[in-house]
Amino acid sequence: MTRRTLVFFVCSPHSRTGVTTAARLLTDYYLSRNVRVEGFDTDSREPLYALFFPEITRVVNLDEVKGQISLFDRLLVADERPKIVDVWHRSYERLFATIAEIGFLEEARKLGVEPVVLFQTDATESAANSALVLKTTWPDLTMSVIHNRGASPLGRNSLTILARYPASGKFVIPRLEAPIAQALDDVDLSLSRLIKEPPSGMSVVVRAALKAWLLPIFTQFQSFELRLELQSSECLR
Amino acid sequence: MVKKPVKVTRAAPAKRERESRPRTAEAPVVASNGAIRPAVIVVGADKGGVGKTTIARAILDFLSLNDIHARAFDTETPRGTLHRFHPDETMIVDLTEPADQMKIIDTLNSSQAKVSVIDVRAGGLSPALQALDEIGFFDAVKSGEFRFILLHVIGSSISSLEEIAEIAPYVADANYFMVKNHVNDTTFFEWDPQTHAKYFEDVVTSGEITIPKLSELAYEQVELCGAPFSTFVANQDAQGQPAEHSFVLRGYVRTWLARVADEFERVGLLELLGEKRR
Repeated sequence: MTRRTLVFFVCSPHSRTGVTTAARLLTDYYLSRNVRVEGFDTDSREPLYALFFPEITRVVNLDEVKGQISLFDRLLVADERPKIVDVWHRSYERLFATIAEIGFLEEARKLGVEPVVLFQTDATESAANSALVLKTTWPDLTMSVIHNRGASPLGRNSLTILARYPASGKFVIPRLEAPIAQALDDVDLSLSRLIKEPPSGMSVVVRAALKAWLLPIFTQFQSFELRLELQSSECLR
Repeated sequence: MVKKPVKVTRAAPAKRERESRPRTAEAPVVASNGAIRPAVIVVGADKGGVGKTTIARAILDFLSLNDIHARAFDTETPRGTLHRFHPDETMIVDLTEPADQMKIIDTLNSSQAKVSVIDVRAGGLSPALQALDEIGFFDAVKSGEFRFILLHVIGSSISSLEEIAEIAPYVADANYFMVKNHVNDTTFFEWDPQTHAKYFEDVVTSGEITIPKLSELAYEQVELCGAPFSTFVANQDAQGQPAEHSFVLRGYVRTWLARVADEFERVGLLELLGEKRR
């Protein structure tokens, strides 16, 4: 049985909400399970996501048609290999405008490619409105929100704020203590390898804290993936 | 002497009414015997490089997508650009040659294609209209034998705008559409209200067609492909074989073609061709 090819757009219209962290975690989740994955970094000025995964990511400039071809033509290849797009906040409008203009979502479904939007939450009303615009434009679009408690805390009204988002699922990325979080800045640190074989020079405390932080996140990705599988399963329809 | 467009008083409501309801030829689309009258669509401009052939290609795609059987004549001799993209339905002709005039006009009634599209080469519009006038084509249009639609592609130069007055004597019985082709990011003096008003606001047309911009890369890829826009969108080459055109570029062309079709529909082209009831 052929599986649908998942294409994740990790996005937010605002900066510093944790988009690259989420894209990185998702990529490492697949790598930790030995799944071949491809990444796309739409920040052509400072492609941080691509720095973490230089061998499996490509940097695309969505302001140019050539960059759009490099991204979308590749995303439409139904090879069962998950593809992750780190959407730079300055590319957000351009990305979805292009998706609408070229009819990407419709074509993707026809080819067995399942686009999934992972929308990074923040406390502003405009972010929730942007998510609403996407869902109104494409009602069938699979959308989940990611609440990064470290990068973009929602405060005491988090439930009210999250309720504004028209998403069918939610991921929570717990907050990390500052000294632990600093370890994540190292572009040579592979989170997928950390699970199996932690770097020998790493502090035992940092190692344990990162593992404890990663495992629940990966579990959420896994259950989301299973849910998608079940939804698309012919025998359950 | 060149006629200038007639100045009319700027009365907003009257002008809006004229724009929203295109002026159409008086004779009915269907002849007294119930048959659809043959239609001639001339796409032209005296100025070169304004996108006449692009418009002619879009028209042929639009007709084909609406199941309207059409034939085309390319006056760019000896090597026609339109013929390159639509070789099966296009014949290269010289409109000033009687033999070629006969190929077009004398076969209007007998041809299976009830719509004939003529792509007039740069600088050839006025002579072409003059030639059609001399052979009595416009008299036949006036008497209701044929329908005549003129798509006048406007460029962004004053000389191009002055063509509007030059061809005015020939468009009395035509459905005359001005086409603003933005495919290459052209402007039409909208930034200069005085110049824009002088040439555009007072001319009586059946409507104004705006061709939207198409990504340069997408346009160039269709050029390289050498096939109709719709063939490119369907991911086929000029021979109809499966191709590997970029989806992004096909998407841009598909959206552009749909917008152009919307424009043709908006001005009532299908109604003029008798394919849609008013």
